[in-house]
Amino acid sequence: MQLPAHINPPAPKRNAAPARAPVYALVGNPNCGKSTLFNALTGLKQKVGNYPGVTVEKKVGTAYSQHGQPLTVIDLPGAYSLAARSPDEAVTRDVLLGRRSDTAQPDRILCIVDATNLERNLYLVHQVLDLGRPVIVVLNMMDLAAEAGMAVFPDKLAQELGVPVIPCEAVRGKGLIELRLAMSRADLPLSRHAWDVPGAIAPAVAEIQASLVAHDAKSPLIARAESLLLLTDQDSVRVAGSTPLSARTTEILAGWQKRWSAENMDWAGTLVSSRYDAIGRIAAEVVQPGTAGQGPSPSDRIDAVVTHPIWGWITLGAVMCLIFVSIFTLAEYPMNWIDRHIAALADWVKGSMAPGDLRDLITDGAISGVGGVVIFLPQILILFFFIGLLESTGYMARAAFIMDRLMSRVGLNGKSFIPLLSSYACAIPGIMATRTIEDPKDRLVTILVAPLMSCSARLPVYLLMIAALLPAERVPLTTKVGIMFLMYFLGTFAAFGFAWLFKRTLLKGVPPMMIMELPPYRMPGVKDVGLHMLERAWIFLRRAGTVILGISIVLWFLSAYPKAPAGASPSEQLSGSFAGMAGHALEPVIKPLGFDWQIGIGLISSFAAREVFVSTMGVVFNAEADDGDTAPLRSALLKARWPDGRMLFTPLVCFGLMIFYVFAMQCISTIAIVKRETNSWKWPLFQTAYMTGTAWILALLVYQVGRGLGF
Amino acid sequence: MPAPSPIARLPLCQLPAGAVGRVQAITGDEGFCQRLREMGCGEAALITKISGTTTSLCQVNGTRIALNHSAAMNILVERVPVPPRTESRRA
Repeated sequence: MQLPAHINPPAPKRNAAPARAPVYALVGNPNCGKSTLFNALTGLKQKVGNYPGVTVEKKVGTAYSQHGQPLTVIDLPGAYSLAARSPDEAVTRDVLLGRRSDTAQPDRILCIVDATNLERNLYLVHQVLDLGRPVIVVLNMMDLAAEAGMAVFPDKLAQELGVPVIPCEAVRGKGLIELRLAMSRADLPLSRHAWDVPGAIAPAVAEIQASLVAHDAKSPLIARAESLLLLTDQDSVRVAGSTPLSARTTEILAGWQKRWSAENMDWAGTLVSSRYDAIGRIAAEVVQPGTAGQGPSPSDRIDAVVTHPIWGWITLGAVMCLIFVSIFTLAEYPMNWIDRHIAALADWVKGSMAPGDLRDLITDGAISGVGGVVIFLPQILILFFFIGLLESTGYMARAAFIMDRLMSRVGLNGKSFIPLLSSYACAIPGIMATRTIEDPKDRLVTILVAPLMSCSARLPVYLLMIAALLPAERVPLTTKVGIMFLMYFLGTFAAFGFAWLFKRTLLKGVPPMMIMELPPYRMPGVKDVGLHMLERAWIFLRRAGTVILGISIVLWFLSAYPKAPAGASPSEQLSGSFAGMAGHALEPVIKPLGFDWQIGIGLISSFAAREVFVSTMGVVFNAEADDGDTAPLRSALLKARWPDGRMLFTPLVCFGLMIFYVFAMQCISTIAIVKRETNSWKWPLFQTAYMTGTAWILALLVYQVGRGLGF
Repeated sequence: MPAPSPIARLPLCQLPAGAVGRVQAITGDEGFCQRLREMGCGEAALITKISGTTTSLCQVNGTRIALNHSAAMNILVERVPVPPRTESRRA
């Protein structure tokens, strides 16, 4: 059969299996069950990293064929189209097109399709088929399609597309054996599906394709797919690590676009429309629309409540309360357990080693530094359990929908809600979650304000200051909880306030347009939520074991050297150490806030991570108990005096310190991730300056006004 | 129930809850128009408005989507009588 002129002949079939493990890429629309399938295929054999230069997660796992042969599987971020609108989608596009030097172009592609919404999902499949790579289509959620009364015929789809189509229910593990069998095939057919590129656009496709082959070293099939994509992509999202186009190809593309603009032709719309025409013909053959479901579905009935203008807010408030209460109550037991074991480990090391610098380095530097951070693991796990649960049930999108109205008041949209919510645990996953925000200015504003949300590292500082400010025996618990909520409220209010300010000044732009899919409600996948928590725990522990361990050792060195004369007390040693010298140097700047050089040491050391403030105060004020128990430290703080005998930790100073920590950018890891995300030092430096500047001004106001009022 | 009187285009945010509109035109940012078309909400698509004026909740081709006010302002629809089934993407 003669192929149409614009179709290049397929590459010769490979008869032998490749020597290395074949690389499969998993692609699909968001909410099509892609991650569930990835988890089902690879189990715990997953590695989570990052694509260099961007904060998009790179998930690679190993699956096994029916014959036990290892298969590498890359889980690419969900995308509606290869014409990328966000960094997430840009990574998917670039990996599939072989544009990334850090990731080899996949040998084969698994396209996951939601059977309940075949037509829209086939749009991405249609683009992927153009790539000329062997493709397996996985028709997921066949059970939900059947429940909706739809009949979907996988065989007909396989016939239409000319590639294997595997019906599947990833949540229940159905269809996985058939999928593994298909993945085990040594040779997979290339798609026979052909579609007609509109006549007015075909010459441009041919010219760009020829240029991509000649100037960008692309194979003819990939070049055709890329030329079709370039005409709809508008090249709006470029991410670090993506190979740029050659000047010649860019010139040809611009030439055609200029010509069509002059002719008032909507080339991108025409291409989308012609694809949908081809897809519509396939869908008509493959899907019989449902006869059931004339009335509202269970999802519709739940939505009637959770997206209701009043009930929706009440539901969201209740969910948020549940999350916060769980974080602060359920985490207490495992945190105490970790704390006891860390103290026991430090004691054991102290008992087993001879006194000296090495022992102090291990106990006071490594164990207390890393231990002080690892103690927050339960809180982070609980938060990610809830985030995983909300995402896998489909509620998270509803929460973003409810929040959109509030977010739009400050110039953002509902998609910024999820990063801000994650930032209550830690700003790092919060900043990573901004990758789904399409508008670059909105993404940047969200990154800039996310660290203002009170993260779990601020909690020990708040607890210590509340303990010093309000003695337990005289003040009811509700007052303490009230102050804690005030701090959380201040952080949240500041995040919204600064977002409003940035959207009107630095990062002015047209109001962002948001379109967001609300997936049907589903029962949460226990395995998926569990894996999500494990993944987060691992990332957190890895950070504690690398960055924080390093910083703890450096801080220990700075507070242990130069050595004080023999017989000096620990506080005398600290006063004369490098850290003490830094504290003294800082004192003129912080004295107007009511802070002395000893608090200064805490501020400097906690620049690495906020929670380090508590352990530093323990060392500075020579508290005998470990840093997890604030009672002895509180007594030590209350005894602290200025040289003239005045009390150092007055209620006003404690309150000022809390205000300072609400606003100050005291986290090196966050600065590092903002640098990576924004690809420059400008934004993390600006962020540090505006946050710490605001913290200084507000702490000054609290102290000076408070003193003026006689506190 | 009498069929709604034929009216000119109106932005999606002004379409009353429960009504069905056929997309007549999409305006605004090119990338956004492109994405709407790719998600099956292009010209001629039938959109059922479920609720909302600031943020609109809609049903298109069996999928629920949320559109913020700026987005819904840029989708011009023509109100059509509610068909027996509104799931099909194109008429």
